[in-house]
Amino acid sequence: MRLFLSISNDTFFVYYLLSNLIYLILLITAIFKNTIHRHRLASLKLELLKASPFTPPITLLVPAHNEESSIVESVRALLSLDYPALEVIVVNDGSSDSTLEKLELAFQLQTARVLYIPDIATAPLRGIYRSPTEPQLLVLDKEAAGCKADAINAGLNAATSPYICVVDADSILEKESLMRIMAGVFSDPSRVVAVGGIVRILNNCTVTNGELKEVRLPKKPIEVLQVIEYLRAFLVGREAWAGFNMLPIISGAFGIFQRDLVKQVGGFRTHAVGEDLDLVIRLHRHLQEEGRPYHINFIPDPTCWTEAPSDLASLARQRARWHKGLIDALWPNRDMLFRPSYGRVGWMVLPYMWIFEFFAPVVELVGYSTIVTAFVLGELSQAFFVQFLLFGYAFATMISIGSVLLEEMTFRRYSDWREVTRLIFYCFFEHFPYRQLTMFWRLQGIWQYLRGDMRWHDVKRVGISTNPTV
Amino acid sequence: MGFISSAIETLGPAEMVLKAILGSLLGILLLVGFIVLRRWYRGRYFRRKTERTIALRAQWDDIVSGKVPPRNWRFNPLDCDIVESILLDNIEMGTPETLPSLLDCLRKSGLLDMRVCETRAARGWRRRTALIALGRTRAFEAIPPLAEALDSRSRETRIAAVRGLGRIARMDAAIPILERMLTQLDVPEHTLKSALVKCCNLHPSILVNYVERSHGAVRQLLARVLGELASPDLGEELLVLAADPLPEVRGSAARALGRTNTSFTLPALHSLANDPEWFVRLRAVVALGEVENIGKIRTLLHALCDANRYVRQRAAWALARMEPQLEQILEDVVATNDDYALQALISELERSGAIENIVSAMELGPGCGSAQSLRDVVAAARDRVGVNSKALAVAAGAH
Repeated sequence: MRLFLSISNDTFFVYYLLSNLIYLILLITAIFKNTIHRHRLASLKLELLKASPFTPPITLLVPAHNEESSIVESVRALLSLDYPALEVIVVNDGSSDSTLEKLELAFQLQTARVLYIPDIATAPLRGIYRSPTEPQLLVLDKEAAGCKADAINAGLNAATSPYICVVDADSILEKESLMRIMAGVFSDPSRVVAVGGIVRILNNCTVTNGELKEVRLPKKPIEVLQVIEYLRAFLVGREAWAGFNMLPIISGAFGIFQRDLVKQVGGFRTHAVGEDLDLVIRLHRHLQEEGRPYHINFIPDPTCWTEAPSDLASLARQRARWHKGLIDALWPNRDMLFRPSYGRVGWMVLPYMWIFEFFAPVVELVGYSTIVTAFVLGELSQAFFVQFLLFGYAFATMISIGSVLLEEMTFRRYSDWREVTRLIFYCFFEHFPYRQLTMFWRLQGIWQYLRGDMRWHDVKRVGISTNPTV
Repeated sequence: MGFISSAIETLGPAEMVLKAILGSLLGILLLVGFIVLRRWYRGRYFRRKTERTIALRAQWDDIVSGKVPPRNWRFNPLDCDIVESILLDNIEMGTPETLPSLLDCLRKSGLLDMRVCETRAARGWRRRTALIALGRTRAFEAIPPLAEALDSRSRETRIAAVRGLGRIARMDAAIPILERMLTQLDVPEHTLKSALVKCCNLHPSILVNYVERSHGAVRQLLARVLGELASPDLGEELLVLAADPLPEVRGSAARALGRTNTSFTLPALHSLANDPEWFVRLRAVVALGEVENIGKIRTLLHALCDANRYVRQRAAWALARMEPQLEQILEDVVATNDDYALQALISELERSGAIENIVSAMELGPGCGSAQSLRDVVAAARDRVGVNSKALAVAAGAH
């Protein structure tokens, strides 16, 4: 028992230290990369990109499942995006509510017997509709397959542009976001095969006619904590991993991909819980196997605003699902681990994902339990116990505040003093008790995965159109 | 704790962890302090900038005309920054009438010389910022320093120089780029193409000479730019490119030919629509879509039966937009007995919304046997196209 406690405590100590050190390295890298990006932006003029005849068309793929509350506003906002050649394909994924009816009414949809070639097999289509008022809009109505990936694949089959951009139906893209994200492609079109943008939290922001009018920090503490979490994940994690060309994920809410490449890898994996993570890992695999030079990039300024869960139950379901998605993507690609042919992806980012993402809740649970047990049994010095906890807490909080600093140095979306003060204040709660809560939810995800429960478990949302300030 | 904690304790445990805690707390304090100070400084800076902008705007005409002598604002960094920024914005948005006075102000105040000097003396991002600002001046004196920067060892600096030259948007600004492209210029393709399009917009013929002298990727890139800028007076040179051994160049020639409505446009595009490379055929079909000549129908009908589905779709797209001839086209497509071709056309007619008009017109037309059979074929094809035709669609996809 004593030996077990001793080994467990040591492991947890090293694990915690390493995890925070890696995040510190990522933070420093992200600050460095962000500075370069801001300099580059200063010399880039978006109007010139927009006017350029070489700007390639993009197809926006919008999977929609029971999105009646926000679908019309979302589609209107997407159609009004600032991009010279845009096609919007909405895939109604067997909604049981009136998603399709709302679209039919708003855009006067008419049945179109458009040639649809299912390069990637999907659940059967029930109909294809076009709008006489919005020529660039196409709506596919398909039977539900119980997964978002299937809906995206249906849209992919119908897409006509060389680049596709997957956007969640309940999300709002900023007007210039497509131009900005494509700037990431133009930096080297032959190498850049996919680019991710940042996802931010829409709760409490003012939205009018599907357009974001005013950015405000959410009111509820649980939402503010998610804001900090997103800032850390995107501005620090993704920015830095992309800097090393090891970006493991492009958010399903907003990212662009070369259409033909996605088709080459068989599209989004049907029934994958985390289809976004799964696709990016398979892209890495495919491109590494082909020996093709490539870059999967992340650009921090193109922004997608999305509604985050505002109650604990929804957040718990979302986090459990994310963790299931993580295992579901890592397990089939476990053969990439430590294989020279997969380069730094196989040697660095995938091991990191296994050790510091997938195993994190397990290690933390065991660690917390053994530390407390050792403390109760008197195997652990009281002073050291308190000091260790304090150190872990202070270090992790410092990283969280670092991500707020990064936001301050770059995009400053929260311009009010009070909002920044609140952001910093809540950084002190991210690692206690929020982190422990997410640990519990992630453990639930592991448990659900082991039981074979791969359902999506709907997350409660307020919707964009029903409330001007979501 | 176990081994590690015991080791730490041996080494001086509490002190070490305490130092780590203090270090972290200090880190937190520094970060928060930095955020607060930065916000305060920025707030103050932008307040001052707004005040000065209002003051300088109030005397703007006098600043441009020189009535307010440059020494009044030139030696105050904030004022200098504001005036330069307004001047450059005005130059970019300006008309040929206002441009000379703005450039004159830039020259007389020494701002232009300051930027030229910076592009030569400064390093890193400061140099790059100066290069872009210099390009925005559109002054001919800006070209030599920008051209020098094309030889920089830093890729970012070369990119800034190309962007700067592009902003000048004059033919003579394109020459340094083109000359270096012939030897070696490592800059992203899109940046080069955008700069060349802006510089060669009025004189695309300058590119022909460079296309002829270049090889491989550079030749393809220049041909692509030419394809965007081609004008009718380029006709014969484009014919040479249409016979180029590089497929990309032939594809660009097809694109260019679509913009030159000359006597040989159709025959040349017809030839390119039969190219062995599918993307050359595709671009020829796209170009045919832009040509206003019903003589293209024959070639497009041929392309509608192409082995490649993208070519078929694009040919269908072009044909579906030839409203007055649609009935005849439909009849000709049915006569080909090519199911994929008919599918592609019907699908495009559905997409463009023209199908209902044709069907109505056909129903009002003669009830003779051939018209009736055409109606039947179209009706059957409409039923097959779309979501119920999975097997057929899969087969079409295989081609």
